[in-house]
Amino acid sequence: MNAAASAFAVSWIREPMTGAVTLQRERQLNRFFAEVERRALRIAEISVRDRDEALDLVQEAMIKLAHKYAGKPADEWTPLFYRILQNGVRDWHRRQKVRNRVMVWFDKSTKDDEYYDVTAHAQDPAGRSPDEELQTAEAMQRLEVAIGELPARQREAFMLRTFEGLDVAGTATAMGCSQGSVKTHYSRAVHTLREQLGDHWQ
Amino acid sequence: MNEPRNDEQFAERAKTLFDNSVDKLDAAALSRLNKSRHAALEQLKQSPPRSPSIVWIPATGIATAALVALIVLRGPADVGMPFEAPVASDFEILLEADSLEMLEELEFYSWLELAELEVDNNVG
Repeated sequence: MNAAASAFAVSWIREPMTGAVTLQRERQLNRFFAEVERRALRIAEISVRDRDEALDLVQEAMIKLAHKYAGKPADEWTPLFYRILQNGVRDWHRRQKVRNRVMVWFDKSTKDDEYYDVTAHAQDPAGRSPDEELQTAEAMQRLEVAIGELPARQREAFMLRTFEGLDVAGTATAMGCSQGSVKTHYSRAVHTLREQLGDHWQ
Repeated sequence: MNEPRNDEQFAERAKTLFDNSVDKLDAAALSRLNKSRHAALEQLKQSPPRSPSIVWIPATGIATAALVALIVLRGPADVGMPFEAPVASDFEILLEADSLEMLEELEFYSWLELAELEVDNNVG
């Protein structure tokens, strides 16, 4: 009995990693982060419309993944990472709502903060970029604005499927919903975006 | 009929634009990402968080259940004395940290008790 209890207790403890295993995991995780981080940053940035905030959210997601899920199989990291990131984005929006309510209460309008100036956020062509590059930048800006106006779940489904290239199952894991919901959100997102951007955008 | 194809084209165009914007991330952003990555990797070098109470709950639960079973099964038959059912306070005491060592040695104490009884019977 004693042995059984001890074995159960030991299996309950997260097995400490040896030096070699830790080093291997560290390398794997480093490769994973290096591969995913820039896309994750842009996805977070489109969601919160602020690069510094997006950088903080990505760092938070990286740290949480390393802290809690480094022991998981590497092929599960992508949906887990995006799940953490999406939760961070949702929390950020909740905090923003509270902050905005407080600001309104103190009669300090946040309209200036909320207003998203496409021109101000556009990359500065400074007359140096070719027309094609400028058009590409403008097209992306329009796409970003349109994505930003989507309902949160549609936005998540669209970016995870299209930008990160997750399949339906991976997107469902990342969003914490069913695969059917992912398909519905994605389909509605594409429909809305196409309608909003128009055929000439393509 | 053309809708799915158009949707695919739309998604491809969006993906191309997105990838282009990823490639154009500035040095400051890339530097921050690099720092974030290293901060995250530092987590691996730290020992994983452990909650002693959570860790010991299953083992303690099993040990307690075994103790109850032992008391109930062995109680009056072997000893020939009035049997008192264990009360909740007994288990509280047993679950205290100091008692965990005793629980780990439960088989030994059980054997010791039996051995003492056999000696008493032989003497008697």
